[in-house]
Formats: sequence, structure tokens, C-alpha cells
Amino acid sequence: MALIKKEILILLRDRQTILLLFLMPVALILFLSLAMEGVWADKLTGRKVHLVIVNESNSPKANLLEKKIKSNKMVQYVNRPRGMTDDQLFADGKAHAIVTIPKGFEEGDQPVEMYFDPVIDAGYKIATRALITSITVEVVMGIDNLDTVVAGLLVEKTKPNRDFPTPLQQNVPGYAIFAMFFIAIPMSIGFLKEKKDGTLQRLFTYPVNTNLVILGKIVPYYLINISQFILMMLVGVYIMSHIISFPFHLGEHPWHMIPVTMVVAAATTGFGVLVAALARTPEQSSTLAATGAILMGVFGGIMMPHALMPIVMKKVAMISPMYWAHQAYLDIFLRDAAFVAILPKLIVLTLFAGICFYIAGRRVQWM
Amino acid sequence: MNALDISSITFSYDGAPVCALQNFSLAVIDGRIQALLGPNGAGKSTLMRVITGQLRGYSGNVSIYGTKMPDRSALLSIGYAPQPISLYTALTARENLRFFGAMAGLSDEEIVLRSEIVLEQVSLTDHAEEPVLTFSGGMQRRLNLAVALLHSPKLLLLDEPTVGVDPQSRNHIYDTLTELNAAGMTILLSTHIMEEAERLCSSVTLADRGEVIFNGRMAEIDNLEKLFLEKTGRGLRDE
Repeated sequence: MALIKKEILILLRDRQTILLLFLMPVALILFLSLAMEGVWADKLTGRKVHLVIVNESNSPKANLLEKKIKSNKMVQYVNRPRGMTDDQLFADGKAHAIVTIPKGFEEGDQPVEMYFDPVIDAGYKIATRALITSITVEVVMGIDNLDTVVAGLLVEKTKPNRDFPTPLQQNVPGYAIFAMFFIAIPMSIGFLKEKKDGTLQRLFTYPVNTNLVILGKIVPYYLINISQFILMMLVGVYIMSHIISFPFHLGEHPWHMIPVTMVVAAATTGFGVLVAALARTPEQSSTLAATGAILMGVFGGIMMPHALMPIVMKKVAMISPMYWAHQAYLDIFLRDAAFVAILPKLIVLTLFAGICFYIAGRRVQWM
Repeated sequence: MNALDISSITFSYDGAPVCALQNFSLAVIDGRIQALLGPNGAGKSTLMRVITGQLRGYSGNVSIYGTKMPDRSALLSIGYAPQPISLYTALTARENLRFFGAMAGLSDEEIVLRSEIVLEQVSLTDHAEEPVLTFSGGMQRRLNLAVALLHSPKLLLLDEPTVGVDPQSRNHIYDTLTELNAAGMTILLSTHIMEEAERLCSSVTLADRGEVIFNGRMAEIDNLEKLFLEKTGRGLRDE
């Protein structure tokens, strides 16, 4: 107990480490979730199209068309600021497209014109064109609602989303795992510093069990890992879900987080011990731990959602323990998976932890 | 009974071409202060680490008050102040003592009581709640000694206890050691400061290149430095 208490006291007095372990992931979750909210909105719910409508006809049909476009739930009507050209509207991001209803539209002499922002996503352009076309057909043909007409001809079926997480489902566990792996920095530095200044060797001049000393150095970091995850979850559930427009679903079996977090923390502390065993100086260990964690994050689907990766990168991701940890949490939050489905990921993480501890045990000289 | 008996210890570090200790024998009589002198690379620190159980894989025997080492219970008879200042600098002096006291198996009450006593002995009572990080080199050396004294050992092993300290702290350490010895504590003092050995010790062991090259009583030596240089030579030691 004294060993654990000492280690935690030392850690708590190291403000930079506390910032790194607790504030860094909170900041990453906050800023990256906000920054990527738009991308997720496009992916999950579709973004409203920002339209400027120029009604040059002012005929009854033209006015009906304008009214129908403006009232469509997919359209965000934009008033053109005085003196602003079409190109300026696009350059300033105020509109995605400009719809012009020309003189002669009522008589069928002139078609409706659409002018798109040249950098607009192609899929987005197609969807917008289809929307304006169907509303124009409704007005020209005198149909009240085209959707009800085609309902008997076309039925849309979708499966529940089991692949693409919401920003919070992606980022909260993702950056919690990322920060948990950063525990390797203070862990390895602390270990090497104690070896260098002789305090570790001094411990072995007391009648204490060597394994207890080693355990006393690992357990505090394991507990800090658990605290990191709990804090990130609290931030996600109680703060971020009020800031981001997406809810943070924890799935049907949120208690599965307990065994998953325990295994992930074992993997992260194993990584810390491995870094301590491989590095010779505290400087080497911090470089090794930070580089390792960042690479694992890049490849493991933390910084870019795994579902968005190309096939090859999806395969490569499997070499990163962060991938297995993240997928285990997505099993819980996104897929409502049974524990049996999560188990293989936990086995991989346990193996990773075991290999790390084994290599460290073979390499490190405790005395 | 001798406080410490070392007989025919031979030890070499992994991959080292020569032995750090070669057939090394030494006896420290209970109640004495014995100097262990030697130039750099003599094997003094290695010997301390063998005695305290930090190094294994040696041949020969080490006994503490008749108990053959390695023996965990016998470790409590030893107080060891290593040459590097081995303290947790982020912790206060009292927190360091509390931690090492717990490692020595002292109860909470014993730790509180003994901490006050050893802090007083090394004149750090007024700085007990300050982080070690803020201490001067001399204060850190004194706390390093206090940690070794905390569990009331019978045999004190000091590895260069006054390296890098000012004359005031050095004299304070000398006075403390004299008082402890007067109270019955046996001390093995590893040093290469001749004045320190002459002032404190009643017997001397001189070592060089892992071997004992002289054993004798201080009273029988006219000039310790002259003897040291005669026995170890005047060549520079860069080990």
C-alpha cells in the first residue's frame, strides 16, 4: 500500500503529467468532435443544402416553386446579401447552389437554372439536383407530393447502423484509449529515474518482496488508467453530449465497459513496462512511448474512423492494440454486442499485455 | 560476535573482463567504526551492494551478526546510505521517512516517533514538510543518512556519506556518526577522504582493484594518506 501511495503522490505532484494524462484527451475529444461534427452530419444524417433562390418570373407557378423549395426540410434558404456576386457567395461558404427561376418559366419557354459551388461534393450535387428536379416536376405537372406517387413504385429499406459511430462514440473511447497509452511516458520515466538515482535499488535493501515492489510500481498506473477512462466517459456523457448535436449512446450493455477497460489498462501498463525495459534514458523512453502511442493511434482507427479507411488500411489497423481496444468499445456502444462477441478482442489485448510483460521481464534489470 | 563477516567474496558484473571483487574478506567488530578505503574502482560500492543483497551470484559468504546472507530478516539489522542520494525528490522529508519506514516494516506509530528522532539527529526538523527537491546537497545527504537510521539498525553501512557537501554539513554528519557509535552502533564507512577515516574510524581496510591490500588499526598508522598512496600507487584512476 505504501508503494502505491508513494507512486500516486509523486504523480499527482507532477502537473505536466496530469495535464498530459487527463486534460489532453478532454481537449482532443472536445475540439476534434466539434471539428468533425459536420463530416459526421453529412455521413449520418445528411447536411441541409444552402440555397439562394432568384425568382425572375414572379408568376404563380414560379412563386409556388420558390415556396416549395424554401419549405423543403433538406433546404436552408439563404438571403443574398446586398451586392454579393454568385462567386462571392460560394467563396464565403454562404451558399452551395443558386437556383434561378427565369422569366418565361410559367410558359415553359425557359428551364430552371442551377449554378453549383464548383468545389461541392459530387454526391451532394447529385442529391441537390434530384431534389430540385422532383419539386419542379411537382409544380409543372400539378402534383401535390411526388413521394406519395412513387411510394408504390419505390420502397427504401435500410439496416440499422452498426458500422459508423457518432462523433462521441468514436472520439470519447478513442482518445481515452490514446491517453491511456500515454501512461507509458510517466511510467517509464519514473522507473528509469528511480533506477538512475538509486531509489529502486535502495528498496531492495529492505525485507520486501521483489514482486511486490514491481507490482507497487505497476498498480498505481493501472488505477490511473481506469480513472482516465472514467473521466473521459463522464466528460462524454455529461458535457460533450450537450455541446455536440449527436447523442452519446452507450449501448444496451454498458457494464461490458468494466472488463474491457480492465483489459485495456493491462495492455497500456504492459506497454509502459516494455518501454521502460527497452529505453536506456528517460529521454529515450518519452520519445519511444509518445511515438509508439501516436503511431498506434494513427493506424488503429483513433484519429480516422476505421469505417472510413481504405481496405488495405483496415487490415493494417489490426497490428495496433488501439484498434482492438477501440473496436471492443464500439462493440458496446454501437453494435450492442454480446460479451462473447467482444471476447476475441480482449484475448488479443491480453496477449499483447502478456508479450509486453514477458519481454520486459526478460530484459529489465530490477536491481 | 562480529557485526559483519565477509569471507572470500568473488564477484564480477555480466560481461566484465575482470572481477569487481576478488577473494575479498573483511570483518567488522561490533561497536566499532571501520573505514573501507580505496581509489575509484576498488570495489567499495560493489561490496556494499553485495552486503545489502542488491547483487547476487557471488561466491563466498556474507554474515550479519552470525546470520548468513541473503536473509531478509537480517536486512533489518542493516541501515544503508548509498552513495547516490536515493530519495524521492517530489516528496517531503517526512513523506520519504514515512515511505522507507513502511518498507522497513515499522508501524505507523513507530514511523512517527522515529521520524522525529532521526530528523532531530540530522537537524532537519524545521524542514520536515518541505519537498526534498528544494534541499541543498548537504541537507539531502543528511536526509539520506536519516533514512538509513530510521529503523534503528545495529550496523550502519555508509557509502561515501559526505560527497559533495559543505564543511558545515560534513562536520554535522561526523558528529552524528560519533554520537551513534557512542550509543553502540557499528559503522562500516566507505570513503576516500583520509581526514574522514582518521577522525572517525578505529580500524581500516584498504582495497584496490577488488582485493583487500591492507587491514589494520588506525592507531598503528602514522600517515594514512601516505600509506594509501604507497599501497595503491600514484597513477590516475579513471574507472
